[in-house]
Amino acid sequence: MVSPNSSSESSGHRFQRRGFSFERAIRFFFASNAGLTIFILLLIIVFLLREGLGFFPGYRRELEVYRIAGLEFVDISRENLSAHEQVTSLLNRAYQAEINGKCLAELQRSQEAAALYNSFSDQVGPTRDLILNNPAAMTGGDGGMLAVLRANYEAQRAKALTKLPTTPHLSEAEREELINSLRNRPAEATDEPPLVANLNAAFVAARQTHSDPLQKFRETIDNFETAGMDLGSIVMEMTESVTATKEILQSADILEKDRKTLLAAATNAKDPVEREKLIADAKASLADKPDVEGPMAMLMEKKPDCVKVHEQLVGAVGEVFPSLPDTLTQANALRYLNTAKSAWPVLIEDLKATPGKINSWTHTDPVPLSAAFISFLTGKSWVTGGEWQDFYGLIPLAVGSLMIAIVALTIAIPVGIGAAIYVNQFAAPREQALVKPVIEFIQAIPSVVLGFLGIMVFGTILREISTLDSLNWIPGFPIDERLNIFTAGCLLALMSVPTIFSLAEDALNNVPAAYAEASEALGASRLQTAFRVMVPAAFSGILAAVLLGLGRVIGETMVVLLVAGNRIKIPDFSEGIGAFFQPSHTLTGIIAQELGEVPLGSVHYRALFVIGITLFITVLGINATAHHVLTRSKK
Amino acid sequence: MFNPENLIRKGPPKGYFKDVLVRGLLGGITYLMVLIAVLLFAKIIVDGAPAIFTSKFPFVDVEFLTAKNETLHVFDDAKGTRHQLPASKYSEYLNAHPGQEIYNEQTFSYSGGGIAGPIVGTALLTCGSIILALFFGVCAAIYLAEYAKQSPFIHAVQLAILNLAGIPSIVFGLFGFSVFVLAAPVITASPIDRSLLVLPLLIEGWALSFQGWNSSLMAGCATLACMILPVVITASEESLRAVPQGFRDASLAMGGTRWQTIRKCVLPFSLPGILTSSLLAITRVAGETAPIMFTAAVAAKDDLPWEGLTNPFGVLSSQVQALPYHIYTLAARIPSSEYTQRAQFGSVLVFLILVAVLSFGSMILRAKMRKKLKW
Repeated sequence: MVSPNSSSESSGHRFQRRGFSFERAIRFFFASNAGLTIFILLLIIVFLLREGLGFFPGYRRELEVYRIAGLEFVDISRENLSAHEQVTSLLNRAYQAEINGKCLAELQRSQEAAALYNSFSDQVGPTRDLILNNPAAMTGGDGGMLAVLRANYEAQRAKALTKLPTTPHLSEAEREELINSLRNRPAEATDEPPLVANLNAAFVAARQTHSDPLQKFRETIDNFETAGMDLGSIVMEMTESVTATKEILQSADILEKDRKTLLAAATNAKDPVEREKLIADAKASLADKPDVEGPMAMLMEKKPDCVKVHEQLVGAVGEVFPSLPDTLTQANALRYLNTAKSAWPVLIEDLKATPGKINSWTHTDPVPLSAAFISFLTGKSWVTGGEWQDFYGLIPLAVGSLMIAIVALTIAIPVGIGAAIYVNQFAAPREQALVKPVIEFIQAIPSVVLGFLGIMVFGTILREISTLDSLNWIPGFPIDERLNIFTAGCLLALMSVPTIFSLAEDALNNVPAAYAEASEALGASRLQTAFRVMVPAAFSGILAAVLLGLGRVIGETMVVLLVAGNRIKIPDFSEGIGAFFQPSHTLTGIIAQELGEVPLGSVHYRALFVIGITLFITVLGINATAHHVLTRSKK
Repeated sequence: MFNPENLIRKGPPKGYFKDVLVRGLLGGITYLMVLIAVLLFAKIIVDGAPAIFTSKFPFVDVEFLTAKNETLHVFDDAKGTRHQLPASKYSEYLNAHPGQEIYNEQTFSYSGGGIAGPIVGTALLTCGSIILALFFGVCAAIYLAEYAKQSPFIHAVQLAILNLAGIPSIVFGLFGFSVFVLAAPVITASPIDRSLLVLPLLIEGWALSFQGWNSSLMAGCATLACMILPVVITASEESLRAVPQGFRDASLAMGGTRWQTIRKCVLPFSLPGILTSSLLAITRVAGETAPIMFTAAVAAKDDLPWEGLTNPFGVLSSQVQALPYHIYTLAARIPSSEYTQRAQFGSVLVFLILVAVLSFGSMILRAKMRKKLKW
């Protein structure tokens, strides 16, 4: 609505007569501020694309070098080698799990005694070192100071003896004996206390007795392992030659880039002398066309050897399979064995297909731009700064983000919605006044504080809980890593509960009161009213709440950066549910971790922006869906 | 024989146990959340209190709040006494005891001294970004609430606000890094005497040059302001719309112009609401780490931002320490031990108290406002 003054025509200032006025100027000023939001959004999109889009040509060139230099050729064999190694490690894990499972009692006793001793040593270590390192102790002089040091040591020892870890599998007498031996231990002693040594010896003996019946299994594993040796050595030979070629190609690329920069500078230079000089520099920087054909011919000479090694390996692997044991006594050992067995046909299939792949591979195939695109979207590895080849694959990061989101939402949805239903439908006003601010306040806790708590407190508590015997049946327990997907998921659940709670509560509040009144008038109980009338009526609002919670979880950075463990690897799904207890990396975490360290403008730097674009699109998609759900329900 | 007693059902009513069970379950979940929240605070308060509270007057460890951040040196002297000294006092100690041997020396980065740098940095970042966001946000909200009619432009603005609100904070970090740290210095690079972007100030020799972008206080403020702009706009628009239409009608009927109406009859009444909701935005800004990681924050800085500067506007182009980033550094980069606990839990407690005061303040103010302003 324009000011009424502007309609009066001929009178007033001359600006006014031309359609300008103070009122219009103000209106324009406010409108431009509103337009600022559009401007910022566009700026975000433009700059993400500007920095990110250069990634694909750069990555294409890297993949091209990967092919021309022959690294891709070596990777065909290398993949088989690592598959072979993985199966070997599965078999070894099965073997170890079987033995350790059989002598579990000895293992635990030995470990607990060692843990107690180590805890004691750690606590008294500094004061003890002080005595041992003191020059007075060597020369025998200055007894007074030594006495002080010894007194310190004794005080620390007394303190340490009260703060020892629990030993549920040692008898009272044994614990007493161990503590006594520590109490009477001279400061200079370096050997282990007798009980620790004895328990360890008992464990070793038990291992020995239990490993005897598994002799045949052990031999099978060893045979399998030696079968891969030839492949290993041939891969190693080829690796050396192709890395050299790659380096030549890369330095040629750098020279070429320098030349272009110099030429560009030359066209801009005003002074003719300077221009001549720049052009001369550019000519000097012209790289010799790198010789790839020579090394490639040498590499191709290895083709028959490579094929032969693979054919031998297929035979050896096939022979080993029947001699694997049918079953094992320990559950987790059996799981490893079965995973290895199920991988067997795939391994043989891959090995059989390899000679064909090796023979049909040529280094002259062009690498299209779509290859870079596909390699980014479906790549199973994110390897950067390595000596071999950098890969930028989205899958490990996306899987990490997704698994964390699954854990978080599995916890947060029932808790958030349950609390919303309780507060909205059942709680007395006084309860509402208590619960609502507390949950709202959880929302105000900065994410970095939650991450800090996760790293300092929650991760440790969770791992200690997981070592309890009574919880051994849960897959993945005891947890190896303190920081893992589950820890991060729990903390993110805590973050997303307030979001889900307050939005779901709003949705329930917005259901017209007539619904509840009608339901009660028909004789429905409170429970029936809540679950059959109110919740279905508010369903779309609750769904939107969950989606917005999901958006928040996916986009959260600090908690996952601190707590998820930051290992860039697709979790090992052969562990079953245990995969959720492994460390992982995430889309948000990788940006926060690596952006500070990458060279500006490099392919790696641009890859991080592409991850940012992916994140941007994903989260906006989720939020748009949520708003779509909400607006549709309002109609 | 008819017995009226039979008509009365004995025992609890049908579905009673189910009702109790479901209510108990839902209530249990709810109070579990409350319990977890309480436990979290208890843990931080118990571990952090020794760092910032003392048993003597004034009951607060002033040094921890006002000293600069330093490396902590932990060592034994030859008598076996354990010393924990920040780097400056450590060198004093070495000078005071020349020739004496020390043992078992350990150093812990960022754990000695106090957290004055991070506190000041967070305060500057928060103030700067909230001023920017309030100015642009309130102006945009005035347009949306007072001038706007249904039009494609308004739709685009509303869509932009909605989308901006959903963007993950790390993407804002990327945006701030590419725009304010990398691109802005290139745009403003021309020398001060030739640049068109320089505003000379009346005081001699000082000029507002819009230069000095890079990883700096102003880059951080600008990034954070972009991030909370949608929050501020939405909240301000709400409190502008809460002013009754009658106020405007009365003013317009008296012959006031639109701008006079807004200035005299709408803004004064919605200002308390705007400021209250902006407290919530402050809480969010103070707690964000990801957007400032690459645009403003540094892990270690010896001076406070304004020290060693000739031009007071130089503060804007200096890097700062920030409390959330400091906590991140303490949690992720240094190994946890009994000597780092003071710095770690102390910083977290100070930070949490800050956030708690802000968010409780906004809650109380909001409640008061609702009582007071009823039309």
